[in-house]
Amino acid sequence: MSLNNFAPFIEAAMNPSPTVLSIGLIFLVVFPIVLHFLYSFITPSNNLPPSVLLIGPQTSGKTTLVTLFSNPSTPSKTHTSSTPSSTELSISDNDDKKFLLIDTPGHPKLRARSVLAPLSSPDSKITIPGHDHNEKSPLKAVIFLVDSAALADSDTLPQTAEYLYDVLLALQNRFHSRKGARAPSSMPVLIAANKMDLFTALPPTLVKSILEAELGRIRTARSKGLLDSGVGQDDDLTEERDDSWLGGDGSEKFKFEQMMEFDVEVEVIGGNVIGDGPGVDKWWKWVGERV
Amino acid sequence: MLDTFEILTTSGVVLWSRTYAPVSPSVVNNFITDIFIEEKSSVAGAKNGASASENPPYKYDQHTLRWAFEKELGIIFVAVYRSLLHISWIDKLVDNIKAIFVSLYRRELTKPDTTIVQCLSFDEYFDQQMKELEQQSGGKSQTRAVNDDVLSDDLGEKGRTKISQIETSPASSPIASPNVSRPSTPSASQLLVAKGGPTGKLSRRARKAQNAHAVPASSGDEASTKKTKAKPVKRGRKWDADGLATEDDDVQLDYSVINLPSDSEVEAGARPGAVEEVDASTWGSKTKGKFVLKDLGDEVQSILADANAKRNAASKSAEPASGLVGSSLSAIGGLFRNVVGGKVLTKQDLDKAMKGMEEHLLKKNVAREAAVRLCEGVEKELVGVKTGSFESINARIQKAMEASLTKMLTPTSSLDLLREIDSITSPSATSLRKPRPYVMSIVGVNGVGKSTNLSKICFFLLQNKYKVLIAAGDTFRSGAVEQLAVHVRNLKELTAREGGQVELYQKGYGKDAAAVAKDAVTYATQEGFDVVLIDTAGRRHNDQRLMSSLEKFAKFAQPDKILMVGEALVGTDSVAQARNFNASFGAGRTLDGFIISKCDTVGDMVGTLVSIVHATNVPVLFVGVGQHYSDLRNFSVKWAVEKLLASA
Repeated sequence: MSLNNFAPFIEAAMNPSPTVLSIGLIFLVVFPIVLHFLYSFITPSNNLPPSVLLIGPQTSGKTTLVTLFSNPSTPSKTHTSSTPSSTELSISDNDDKKFLLIDTPGHPKLRARSVLAPLSSPDSKITIPGHDHNEKSPLKAVIFLVDSAALADSDTLPQTAEYLYDVLLALQNRFHSRKGARAPSSMPVLIAANKMDLFTALPPTLVKSILEAELGRIRTARSKGLLDSGVGQDDDLTEERDDSWLGGDGSEKFKFEQMMEFDVEVEVIGGNVIGDGPGVDKWWKWVGERV
Repeated sequence: MLDTFEILTTSGVVLWSRTYAPVSPSVVNNFITDIFIEEKSSVAGAKNGASASENPPYKYDQHTLRWAFEKELGIIFVAVYRSLLHISWIDKLVDNIKAIFVSLYRRELTKPDTTIVQCLSFDEYFDQQMKELEQQSGGKSQTRAVNDDVLSDDLGEKGRTKISQIETSPASSPIASPNVSRPSTPSASQLLVAKGGPTGKLSRRARKAQNAHAVPASSGDEASTKKTKAKPVKRGRKWDADGLATEDDDVQLDYSVINLPSDSEVEAGARPGAVEEVDASTWGSKTKGKFVLKDLGDEVQSILADANAKRNAASKSAEPASGLVGSSLSAIGGLFRNVVGGKVLTKQDLDKAMKGMEEHLLKKNVAREAAVRLCEGVEKELVGVKTGSFESINARIQKAMEASLTKMLTPTSSLDLLREIDSITSPSATSLRKPRPYVMSIVGVNGVGKSTNLSKICFFLLQNKYKVLIAAGDTFRSGAVEQLAVHVRNLKELTAREGGQVELYQKGYGKDAAAVAKDAVTYATQEGFDVVLIDTAGRRHNDQRLMSSLEKFAKFAQPDKILMVGEALVGTDSVAQARNFNASFGAGRTLDGFIISKCDTVGDMVGTLVSIVHATNVPVLFVGVGQHYSDLRNFSVKWAVEKLLASA
């Protein structure tokens, strides 16, 4: 009985009439579009704000700086970090310009993963800690925090310089690793000379020259040093060697200006996170200009 | 007593802390570095969800730290106290605080992109816990006293009968007696909870109140337990206080008199409203603190109970799920997820794959001990992690293993040998140190290639135009001195044109090696050498007699660097070798680095590297990759990790 009622409909649907065909065609076109919008509506948008990477050796004040930026009235006490973290900040009070400040642990064992890997990737995108792996944010700038009060120390200087050397080298290799005509975007580096409030702190100009001298020394030491294991055994030797020389070829002394050749702009600005002194305003302004 | 208690994130921000005595931040910093970054503790890594009693206490500079770690949220709970003290309840405190904190602030903690967690109100919870635990352990005698007080005031059986009265009759009825309040304070435990004040001061006040006027305190308790009835009950009591005038009621009267002097006495019966007002005010000023506290105690109890229940449930659910349909459905889902990704990994998923990984590492000549530790670390890291889209479990494990190998093998400090030599031989003017030769010595088991590697290093130094003195510290094995002499002759010839200068310092056989080394250093200082390389006799690492002479050697020669040569060929024994040599130089002196020789003979099986670093936390400096003087390489972590993970 009921089947008989439906029979004409089914018959009509099976007919190769223009109406049926057009309905089918419309369905064919519209359905994927609807599905797409539905899907993109359900899944969270991948529009992460740009990010700024905060790096530096241990006890230079990275986490304290983050807490100060996020909570200017009462920065928290901090301890050694063992995982990276990100904080969303806005440049000005009106919330239109936001960026993520990524705090990284300063311990040498944890650098390779959280710092050097994203820096050397040619697309200059970075995975934000606490987010999904597929979500990436464009990396706009790097802040390298330096403890300027301890920089005169014979232990701190080589460690700081070595870290900086690795970072700059990663950025330089990133420039070389471009594929096709698309060069990676330039990467500004701020060397933030922290702890200016302390008596023993060196002025930013001196911090700059000391670091340059030390980087130069590391550069020559590495060129004279032993080869890395694995190098020269299976692949050709010459190309690998080139990769560890920071800055322009044939230059006698290392200067941060040489990094301009690789679209890496380095600037040294003094400041202090806690205590009296120039404060963090200049750094904040620098970040604001770059983001 | 407790010195400090801190709640901090793994990213280093202190969320909440309570300090009783100032503790240098370096205590906690070192704790984090050692446990979470360098994983020095024998129980590798931080166990998620393990209670504080399972985590070994960390001792540093007269302080002992008990800690718990919540992996999912990345939060560390640390209690610091003096090592001299024995605090029995500290584990419980850490565990309870962890449970409370996590349940209270879970939502805020999981928020991305922020470091601020508002937890100022956590003070009260902490104080409550502290008080409770302290009293459970130490304050028993005091609680007994309070208890007795209450009981003596109280007419036990009478009170019990009155309970029913409250329940049945509306509380506003005047018959509900002064004793009404009493029955609801049956056990000491409730009183104790009430006693825990948000601050020490308040709690003292509370205690006084309890001892002096047991009634108001208890009535406060009672009221709070019956929240809705609180006011009517109170009023009823007041009524009675005037009418019956028992001993207790006098006290109660006093209480109200503070606020409403004579009025209540005269017109109490007529104007209940007025009395009620007084009540409210006394509540506000006097008993409010207690009211809040009582609530807090209840809340805390319920939170802890919840946490306990959850833990039990978790342990139960760890067993295979019951029900044929359910299990098969989840199995199919699991298989699907395994291919597509987005699967939340459980211990069962990982078990098999981890076994495979362990097997793989063993095949690469990693000692079992090290392989097990690595796999356990990776497993802990991965349980509860969601795989990426189209990522299989094995790929995820591979990734995690790569990260954890890199972390293990990466040295903590800079290993730039040339820089170090420079800073010793030509110190900067500000450092006030005299230039002196840089002393390096090489130790190891017999036949691993100590002399060969020594001459390789010498060649490298000569290329960098240092003036090197080689000291023949092997005064035992015949031919050892001659062997070095041949090396020196070769090296001289090889580097003469480049201006390298090398000499051999030898005193023949049978002399005390430590004395020879010392003389060599003195000689080098006089003659202006840059570097002294001291060869030593090979010794078996489990021979006490031979190993004991190393301590004297380290004291006499004062080497800047002691390197141990280990063969890549050796298997599980490498762990014992490295440990014994590392411990043989006396207190305060350990090895500074390893040279792994004969790496060219083992191909991909460079597991020895991992074994020795696992055993000692001492970095690998160089690897030997051939027979020539130039076949010495800086150790590259990336290279080693690639080799270790390469499938055969």
